[in-house]
Amino acid sequence: MSAIDNNTARQNAGQNRQLSINILRYDPSDPASRPRMQEYRIEESDSMTLFIVLNEIREHQDPTLQFDFVCRAGICGSSAMMVNGRPQLACRTLTRDLPNVITLAPLPFFELIGDLSVNTGKWMRGMSERLQVWLHAKEGETDICRIEERMDPDIAEQIYELDRCIECGCCVAACGTAQMRKDFVGAVGFGKIARFRLDPRDARTDDDYYELIGDDTGVFGCMSLLACHDVCPKSLPLQTQIAFLRRKMAAQGLG
Amino acid sequence: MTGSRINQGIQRFPVALIRDFPDKGFPDADQCLSKKQVLSSAVFLCPLGATVSHETIFIHAGLADKSRKSRWPARLDLLQSCTGLFLAIFMWLHMFFVASILLGESAMWSIAKFFEGYFIFGKAYPWLVSCVVGFVVLVLVAHALMALRKFPVSYQQWRTIRAHTKVMRHGDSTLWIWQVYTGFLMFFLASAHLYQMFVWPQDINPYLSADRIWSDGLWPFYLALLLAVELHGGIGLYRLAVKWGWPNASREALRKVKWILTGFFLVLGLVTLAAYMKIGYEHRTSVGEPYTPTWALEKNEHRGDGQ
Amino acid sequence: MKTIMTDVLVVGGGLAGLRIAIAARKRGHEAIVLSLVPPKRSHSSAAQGGMQASLGNVTKGTGDNEDVHFEDTVRGSDWGADQIVARMFVDTAPKAVRELASWGTPWSRVRGGDHEVIINEQKVTLTERMEAHGLIAQRDFGGTKKWRTCYAADGTGHAMLFTTSNQAVCHGVEVHERTEALALIHDGERCYGAVVRNLITGELVAYLAKATAIAAGGAGRLYSATTSAVICEGMGHGLALETGVARLGNMEAVQFHPTGIVPAGILVTEGCRGDGGLLRDVDGERFMPHYEPEKKELASRDVVSRRMEEHIRSGKGVQSRFGPHLWLDITLLGRHHIEHNLREVKEICEYFLGIDPAEKWIPVRPTQHYTMGGVRTDHTGQSPSLKGLFAAGEAACWDLHGFNRLGGNSVAETVVAGMIVGEFIADFCDKPENSAPFPLTLAREFVQREEAKLAAILDGGGSENAFKLYSEMQEVMTRHVGIFRQGDALLAGVAHLQRLLERSADIGTSGKSRAANPELVMAYRVRRMIKVALATAHGAYLRTESRGAHFREDFPHRNDQEWLKRTLAFWPDETASLPSFEYEPLDVTKMELPPGWRGYGAKDYIDHPDTPRRQQEVDAIRSQMEGRDRFAVQEALMPYADKLPASLAGRNERLDEPLETSQ
Repeated sequence: MSAIDNNTARQNAGQNRQLSINILRYDPSDPASRPRMQEYRIEESDSMTLFIVLNEIREHQDPTLQFDFVCRAGICGSSAMMVNGRPQLACRTLTRDLPNVITLAPLPFFELIGDLSVNTGKWMRGMSERLQVWLHAKEGETDICRIEERMDPDIAEQIYELDRCIECGCCVAACGTAQMRKDFVGAVGFGKIARFRLDPRDARTDDDYYELIGDDTGVFGCMSLLACHDVCPKSLPLQTQIAFLRRKMAAQGLG
Repeated sequence: MTGSRINQGIQRFPVALIRDFPDKGFPDADQCLSKKQVLSSAVFLCPLGATVSHETIFIHAGLADKSRKSRWPARLDLLQSCTGLFLAIFMWLHMFFVASILLGESAMWSIAKFFEGYFIFGKAYPWLVSCVVGFVVLVLVAHALMALRKFPVSYQQWRTIRAHTKVMRHGDSTLWIWQVYTGFLMFFLASAHLYQMFVWPQDINPYLSADRIWSDGLWPFYLALLLAVELHGGIGLYRLAVKWGWPNASREALRKVKWILTGFFLVLGLVTLAAYMKIGYEHRTSVGEPYTPTWALEKNEHRGDGQ
Repeated sequence: MKTIMTDVLVVGGGLAGLRIAIAARKRGHEAIVLSLVPPKRSHSSAAQGGMQASLGNVTKGTGDNEDVHFEDTVRGSDWGADQIVARMFVDTAPKAVRELASWGTPWSRVRGGDHEVIINEQKVTLTERMEAHGLIAQRDFGGTKKWRTCYAADGTGHAMLFTTSNQAVCHGVEVHERTEALALIHDGERCYGAVVRNLITGELVAYLAKATAIAAGGAGRLYSATTSAVICEGMGHGLALETGVARLGNMEAVQFHPTGIVPAGILVTEGCRGDGGLLRDVDGERFMPHYEPEKKELASRDVVSRRMEEHIRSGKGVQSRFGPHLWLDITLLGRHHIEHNLREVKEICEYFLGIDPAEKWIPVRPTQHYTMGGVRTDHTGQSPSLKGLFAAGEAACWDLHGFNRLGGNSVAETVVAGMIVGEFIADFCDKPENSAPFPLTLAREFVQREEAKLAAILDGGGSENAFKLYSEMQEVMTRHVGIFRQGDALLAGVAHLQRLLERSADIGTSGKSRAANPELVMAYRVRRMIKVALATAHGAYLRTESRGAHFREDFPHRNDQEWLKRTLAFWPDETASLPSFEYEPLDVTKMELPPGWRGYGAKDYIDHPDTPRRQQEVDAIRSQMEGRDRFAVQEALMPYADKLPASLAGRNERLDEPLETSQ
């Protein structure tokens, strides 16, 4: 149902919708806990987001419910979860864009902390270390008193475009390859490599990047299902970036 | 003003290495590796907690040559794509050749004979077809082997990916499942078909092919093969385009083109199959008797060599 | 009892905390960062518009330097800032930007040649110098004389945080994610680390360190309508307050940002107004020029927020079911500008309001935004009353911001303070006398005390609901300690908070898990929050003047004669229902910029008796030294060179101020 349909329906009925929120509950720290779906009913209000829904449930119905929010503004990437089967940022999901029955589940792939809370941070740190996602500066010292090195304004903007990744984990959760192969780098990693490859300040060459992603856990493992591209909350151009990396890395095989 | 300089030219050991040598503790700033060493230190990339092999340590210390990561994954990936592209193009051309039956028995006979070298050498050499078939078999096997690496390798993985595509309801992911299904199916169907063509290439003939389809009762086999081939090939070509970023069109546009092509070849294939079934039905009383156009018959009789 | 020992323990994984840890690692010390969340999720990432540093690359920034930045900062603070610290800050800010550039931050760059901008509703063509092409660009922000705010589109904090966090990984900084400090381990004189709870397993661990740094961010969640992330609950402030020894400075100085969206309270950046956006009322009229003819929409945040509330009170607000609001109009900037330089703003408008800001006006209202107050430190970042305890960033009262922070100075403070305090922490750890053996028995006592507190909550059968107390506290703070304050209302608010504090001793939980348990977390946090709220509310009641963001309707003037001093709150008696207060005077006779009119806002104030004399001295020095370079004049007015760490000394090069090659 579209937003307009829901709104019109509500106005016609002259009352707010009753939402049925079905949440996957499981506490791995409790040996007695078994995964189950639990239903909560809540009355919809104006501009209601899943952030508001979940906090209302916790404050008024079930204080044990676990979930993660930080910025609640779609900036930090904490609140990624499966909303009716698709990974997305719960904080900026308006209920008016959803049907009456809403199913919430934690992101798959990542270590489950409890209910809707998953440990994306731990995986992302591992990815950062594995792919060395920091700028590898060129030879020579930078004197921070001196005028900074120049950079083409367009290149700066392009780097920023790729730098907008918030490491929310949606791309990895949506990735069929990652579901099957836990050591797969995932779109988030490719995005980072593409970002540093673009950066003229980074000294690494394709030869170096090949060491990082030139195998079946890296770019050649990608089956181009591209769910990553479709679910990315920041609309990063993952499809073209992965294709670009594949071409560059494949060229290494011919060289 | 040296005080305000920061050491940008040197980088630390990768963390993985530090963790692997806990007794060394954290190297302080003076023990940093130079830039050059760090670039070659990419060999240390391994998941945290994994042990670095002696070989790697020796290489890093300069006691052995730097080993580069194998280039084979790149080559294999290219090979998978190239074999796929070849097979897809072959399959479409093949479809056109087979569909020549729609223009009449004579047209199909001519094309079959063309591939046997009849119009070049003035005589048919069916083993030429066997050669082509043999090459296609090789490509197919290569493609299958490459593709198998991407297949789920355990029931657990299969269940995971099925559950995933079911929950996600994501078109391109679901299409991949179909690619697995059809690829799996084709491995048997196409192999059987190719074996037959390899061993009896001379049986590619308007009547003999039609007999195979109707009187030998193989039309369900060809129907299944047709569906599998067209779906697999269409999806595969689409996947190739998005995988390599060429042609650089939107996925919506590419998908549209893909479905149009798949639709076209499916229709063409079904009509062709129907045509063979009709011919086979009409020819059911004289099974095994090849078709030869009258103009060729005269020539053949004159020369005194038949099939 | 599990014990982890390290050199530097940093509470908080945002920009300030990570930068401190990197500084310590670079000097060869081990550093552990405790973070409630993965560090890249810290609230630093929400800083959109940019970071102030006087690079002077753009046309509208030519002539900018440390002196101009210093004066803007001190005026912005309404003379509450520590001027030595402000000097250290403005000197280091360009270095911080350039360091981040060398670490990979994708700063937006100057494009040489003509480009069109909107200034005061007019399309203006600016010509950027070709020699500046490719250097870091600056935009306009409130309360500044020059275009000084360096930015990466409108995701500056995000870009800076990711750069810094990646550098932390590169430098092997250990980050213990999803851990929370419950108490500082100290003996009343020296801080030795913290009792830390693992938020996943619930395990309590004693972390012992030579130096402990609080970089835990602000306390925005004391208010119900705030732009702050949900983790900005003032826990760093609370930790310090509960030592009974460390002081919190100027907690009553709370900044309200003019443009939080209604109703979600999410921030849209000051860059919107910096780039030419306007504020409009119910009639679509632009009203700020009427109140502030000089700076209009770009007066400092405290002033703009107050003017907005004033305008709403005069009946010019737009009525909505979420209360009155005003409009932010950025449609005049054009779609291209919005889609390139204000992308996050566009996303926020689309996702939370369902509008396209290139077409429609954005509903905004002043919303709690920043905690100027924090753990009081000296210029090295160390607490004067608890040795070994440091603080930096929003959690600190280093005192860069005084009673009002300028936009773009907070995210700048995080990295600059991180660099400076990080060096001082490394110095501290280098000293042999600071490597005294760790007091394990003391640590055990602290862990046991925290364990007992948790047990009391889980098993004590308390009847109060922590979530209810939390929202009640937020309501009290919003109602009584908001933009306009008044003696009686403040007193009523304090009394209400005291009742809440009492009730917070009787909190119970329905779930009994000692592992990940959101209810338990809220239970132990809310009591600490109420204490911080009391320090804020009562401090506001005691300060009978108006300064910067602290505005008393019953005392509407700035009163330098009585109130040119810093409020220090501490909680020596654990059983007391109020913190104790003392005051730290600011010495006018040493100020480089003696108090005066800010250049915007109210023009009448009560002078400090020393001000005229100091002003004469300053004027005399300036006229005596006419013709000498600005560095010499500054040195004569207020020397600070010896205060900066040696590694951060050095003049900043600019296109207009080239450095000698010999330097």
